[in-house]
Amino acid sequence: MGIVALLVGMMAYMSLHWASMPPSRIETIDPATLHIAGEFVEANLGSGVEPNGSVTVRVVGNRYSFTPQCLLVPTDTPVTFRATSADVVHGFNIAKTNVNVMLVPGYIATFKTKFKEPADLEMPCHEFCGVGHATMWAHVKVVDKAEFEKQAGGKRRVSCVK
Amino acid sequence: MMETERVFSLRNVWFTASVGAVIGIAAVAALIGFIWIPLEQSNKTVAGLWDAICTAAGVPESFRQVQQSAAPIAGPSNVIVSAQMMKPADGLSIGRGAALAPQCTMCHGVRGMSHADAPNLAGQHDAAIYKQLRDFKSGHRTSAIMGALVAGLGDQDMRDLAAYFAGLPRGPEATAADARHEAPVIVRNGSPMRNIAGCTSCHGGIDIKTGSPRLDGESESYLRAQLLAFATGARHNDIYGQMRNVARQMTPEEIDTTARFFAGR
Ligand code: HEC
Ligand code: HEC
Ligand SMILES: [Cu+2]
Repeated sequence: MGIVALLVGMMAYMSLHWASMPPSRIETIDPATLHIAGEFVEANLGSGVEPNGSVTVRVVGNRYSFTPQCLLVPTDTPVTFRATSADVVHGFNIAKTNVNVMLVPGYIATFKTKFKEPADLEMPCHEFCGVGHATMWAHVKVVDKAEFEKQAGGKRRVSCVK
Repeated sequence: MMETERVFSLRNVWFTASVGAVIGIAAVAALIGFIWIPLEQSNKTVAGLWDAICTAAGVPESFRQVQQSAAPIAGPSNVIVSAQMMKPADGLSIGRGAALAPQCTMCHGVRGMSHADAPNLAGQHDAAIYKQLRDFKSGHRTSAIMGALVAGLGDQDMRDLAAYFAGLPRGPEATAADARHEAPVIVRNGSPMRNIAGCTSCHGGIDIKTGSPRLDGESESYLRAQLLAFATGARHNDIYGQMRNVARQMTPEEIDTTARFFAGR
């Protein structure tokens, strides 16, 4: 009995204090018309600063690239990723971080995290999605909070695609 | 003498105590899992008790109004590209296409094989022809010449023209064997760290991604011009930058090599 109570307590503690996240609220969206209207139109992708100072990064996976190809995020700021797929299942996984979700067409994946220090990170697709799967690599550039503000200043959306 | 007291009875203290404890733990766990954690993790964006329970139970929700911040902005294309977008060609449609085709042959060749710099249409995938015509008409792909020509075409006309030209002969299509030999590495394998997939994984040879045109036998100058236009973003009617993301990463030499390679096939 004590053991069961202890396990429940541990699960609760981990969910709250480690970033062990259960899938967020399931949100559905039509993958065929993603590019035509709504939250995931091309011009709305990339990083945007929310009124509360947090940053939302919207990403779409589509054989064989992520758009934007290079994601720009600040340090020491709550970052929310909102991502989905336009075709088949892709894997959204930022190396060396806890960011790891599946992009399933028809569903929006949400993931919250924080980056501690500036870094150049790789973001390979980790769900087999077709013959070009092995080349489906995006990049994530974590920059100092001040530097991010400079680059994002006045723009609706930013990325590090050159 | 043995006590013959019944085990499952409320008068058995052990029974009531253990059942009570199990129910108690279940109730506490449910409170934590369905209410406290969802409320805490969502940074209070969950609308209330019932919403928190739904979140944890995984009830689907179509995405929230507040997050629909995007204004309606012109995207790359209005065409829905899918494996089912074209119907199998039928004689009637091909016949109607043949009747419309004389408007096109001046530039694209009598049998869809252009000998000038206009692209070949013979043997092109019907989905690719149809999508480009729709994009010229809506202005998502800009061309002074083609824009004016498609202005008078209806949706069915474009489907008929696509069916007609797709059925005309070009050379044999690229095969998997071609993909292994002679072809430049970037055509066969791409370049993973730059996020370039091999051209053969979308344009035929290994796989065809719906909407990707055949490239073999097009003129070198047309292919180079299109690659450069994708690289600079001057052409941007490829959905989610699937072709811009490739071309932007290519070096000028790679653009020359691949244009020459496909033109020579
Ligand atoms: C006056 C010359 C001319 C005529 C007539 C013409 N086209 Fe074109 N077409 C072009 C040129 C030039 C391009 C390349 C445009 C560019 O560079 O972006 C083109 C491009 C195209 C493309 C895109 C091909 C690809 O591979 O992306 C299609 C499809 C097409 N034309 C179909 C037609 C059809 C169908 C007709 C008849 C209704 C027609 N064209 C009539 C000159 C012409
Ligand atoms: C992820 C799939 C994909 C890969 C990989 C890819 N392409 Fe494309 N490409 C497309 C699609 C889709 C289009 C049509 C875009 C549109 O909808 O207008 C296209 C269009 C083109 C065109 C314009 C053709 C025309 O007729 O107008 C050229 C040229 C081209 N690609 C060359 C290449 C080369 C060279 C490579 C390899 C280095 C390559 N592509 C790799 C998907 C791909
Ligand atoms: Cu993928």
